Amino acid sequence: MPSKKSKTKLFILVIVPLITLLTGCEFMDIDKDVFVSMIGIDKSDEEDKPYKITLKLYVPTSSFKQSPEPQYTYITKSGETLSEAIRILETYSDKELEFGHAKLIVIGEDLLKEHKASEVMDFLLRRPDIQMISWIAAGRPSAEEIIKMVPQGENAAYPALFNYFDDIGNESQYIVTTYLFDFRRRMVEEGIDPILPIIEKNTSHFKINKSLVLVDKKEPHELPTLYTGIFNILSMNIQVADLIIKEEDGEGEAFIAKIDSMNSKHKVIVKNNNNIALEIEVRLTGYIAESKHPLKMKNLSYYNKLLEKVAKEKLTEFFSEMTSVGIDPIGFGIDYKSRTLHNKRMSSEEWKEAYKNAEIKIIIHPKLKSTGAIQ
Amino acid sequence: MSSLETINWINEQFKNTNELVQKNLEYENKHILLFYIKSLINSEMLQKLIIKPFFEMSSEEQFNLYLQALPQFQEVQSKEQVHLEIMNGNILIVIQNEFYLLDFKLAKNDKVNSTSVETTIHGSQLALSDNLMTNINVIRSNYHQASLSVEYFVKGEVNQHKVAVIYDKEKVKNDVLDIIRKRLQKVDKQLITSTTQLGNLINDSRFSLFPQMIMTERPDRIVYNLAGGKVILLVDGNPQSIATPVVFFDFMTTMEDNYHTLFISLFLKILRYAGLFLSLLLPALYVGVTSFTPELFRTELALTVAGSRVGVPFSSFIEVLFMLFFMELLLEASIRLPKAVSATATTVGGLILGTAVTEASLASNIMVIIVSAVAISTFVIPVNEMAFSIRVVRLLLIIITSVFGLAGLVLGFFVLIMYLVNLDSFGETYLKIYTLSKNRKTTEEKT
Repeated sequence: MPSKKSKTKLFILVIVPLITLLTGCEFMDIDKDVFVSMIGIDKSDEEDKPYKITLKLYVPTSSFKQSPEPQYTYITKSGETLSEAIRILETYSDKELEFGHAKLIVIGEDLLKEHKASEVMDFLLRRPDIQMISWIAAGRPSAEEIIKMVPQGENAAYPALFNYFDDIGNESQYIVTTYLFDFRRRMVEEGIDPILPIIEKNTSHFKINKSLVLVDKKEPHELPTLYTGIFNILSMNIQVADLIIKEEDGEGEAFIAKIDSMNSKHKVIVKNNNNIALEIEVRLTGYIAESKHPLKMKNLSYYNKLLEKVAKEKLTEFFSEMTSVGIDPIGFGIDYKSRTLHNKRMSSEEWKEAYKNAEIKIIIHPKLKSTGAIQ
Repeated sequence: MSSLETINWINEQFKNTNELVQKNLEYENKHILLFYIKSLINSEMLQKLIIKPFFEMSSEEQFNLYLQALPQFQEVQSKEQVHLEIMNGNILIVIQNEFYLLDFKLAKNDKVNSTSVETTIHGSQLALSDNLMTNINVIRSNYHQASLSVEYFVKGEVNQHKVAVIYDKEKVKNDVLDIIRKRLQKVDKQLITSTTQLGNLINDSRFSLFPQMIMTERPDRIVYNLAGGKVILLVDGNPQSIATPVVFFDFMTTMEDNYHTLFISLFLKILRYAGLFLSLLLPALYVGVTSFTPELFRTELALTVAGSRVGVPFSSFIEVLFMLFFMELLLEASIRLPKAVSATATTVGGLILGTAVTEASLASNIMVIIVSAVAISTFVIPVNEMAFSIRVVRLLLIIITSVFGLAGLVLGFFVLIMYLVNLDSFGETYLKIYTLSKNRKTTEEKT
């Protein structure tokens, strides 16, 4: 029986060599890294090197007070594969490229039109230092141009583009925010289609109010501003939305309903013979923000009815376009799959057909609480 | 035991000192013999209580009774006791072949100090004194219980210091008391000069990183600990006491916690624990994040850290160790220095060195901020001994983090917790949240 002391000695003798076998990450001081701010991926003009990668790199400063102007450097390289291009790009920089802070990935519209999204995705997912919570967006006309633009009044170390997506700066109802992990899920999963915000460029600022829905083997479908807003209401990505309410004859009420709390549920109702109905139930709570005519509190139920009517019209319009094109960014396919057993389920072709001919049921619960003015 | 023989024996024992006074008083068929060490006794009292009555009283018989009635009176049991008590400031009186000891000790160190280590805003500002009897007096006058017991031991072969073990008989755990008695008996040291030294000797774990006894100078804390069933140890000539057994959380409480209202003391407690974790983890976290996983920072912060490190010639862990080394030097220096100079030392060290180091880009600005934050948060830990332990553990965490990164830091912290769980203080688990359970039953059985 070994004594306690010799047991401890034995333990140390065994554990110390074992510990040296463990390896942590590589030791690398922070000033030997260069941080990538954004990644842009485009289609290149060269035949044999289809991908063009542009990286926006931060230039570190010790004090942002002394140099408030944003400073970036850009490196661009085309390659046959993305990894190859990145390997070459590493030779353009004296420091290690650190992708951990790349918050935004912009993919050129041309590349998306050629259905290269899944290949790009593969690279982005496999590289460990690219964060799954980075935002992904489509760049128009090209990712490179979007990335290289620095608008007026941008803060050092926090590119203006990030403010559009981070839910702290900009909360517009027309901006879709897609994370990389969500984008991947939508790509892989059948029954829900990936949606990307489109970043457009003006002479001095960005413009993000449209979105792009990717469909397998088809041209990506662009959602205009209004539909992007409706998508955001239905997916409850936003906190506040405005709806324009107008009576048809032009003489009646015209006001803007400011919706500050929304709740939407959707489900698929399966009828016989592969017929389905899409049921969407939306609760809109808010008040009236702007009006052409004086509004009366006692007429609130009438205004609610107007809101219900307009919302119903717009949603019906939106869904009839979705179904006729055959795109499904809301995820009815997933809803259907989750409600049916696998042996009783339609095949994916049957589902697509059924989705195209689906009946659309929209239930709106309007709840305008005030006219927005004190009488 | 014949008186002549004993007197000779005593003279033999004290032959190496010239301080022993032997006084022969004879007056009107009364005769007494006094032995004492002049520098240890109160000669005023001797004059008033012994010499004056001796000349006033009519018979030796009366004087004998008078002596026995004095409160300082002590019966003599053995020769050894006589020797010891004379050394402790007693007077030996030989009258009619009888030996009496009278405690006329002169103590000049019985002034109660004001608190200097555990200062608080609320509560008593007085601490203990250097005198054991005064200290016991202070404790007794703060803790009015008949069950308060004091046991005396004499420790230190050469200096023969008195050690008092104080406890509330009804609340103390007998196992703990037994362990303390047993270990006290084992203590075999030439010199015992301080309470904490005695604490180390009876701890039985020389290599322990964490203190297993809590040192305190506050009577209110002593009383609080007594009521909680702890055992207090006092050494003569020391203004500090130690209490045992302790749990980790004892070191994170101050007496002021009870003096504030609930929310304020809760806030202070949260602040204190935040300080504890900050001082323990912040330097290691800096090394781990900057050198292994810069993704963890916010982008702005990562860029600022990277920018501020531009031109710094050392790796992050050398930078941290370098700055911490100077901070520790500064701390040590300000303890050792006389009070008048220590303020200058802090200014020179803290302000001038800090700015100069960044100017010369020997360390980054952020490093200086971290080191000062760590230094400040170390002082938040209320008991000094724990702050010392944390300073050592912090270094170990930095070393493991610079080898294994953040994973190493997590693992190291885990090992620290395992170590704390494994630790015990006189049979009580160290990381226990509850205070001692009362075992009144076993006490009744034993007594």
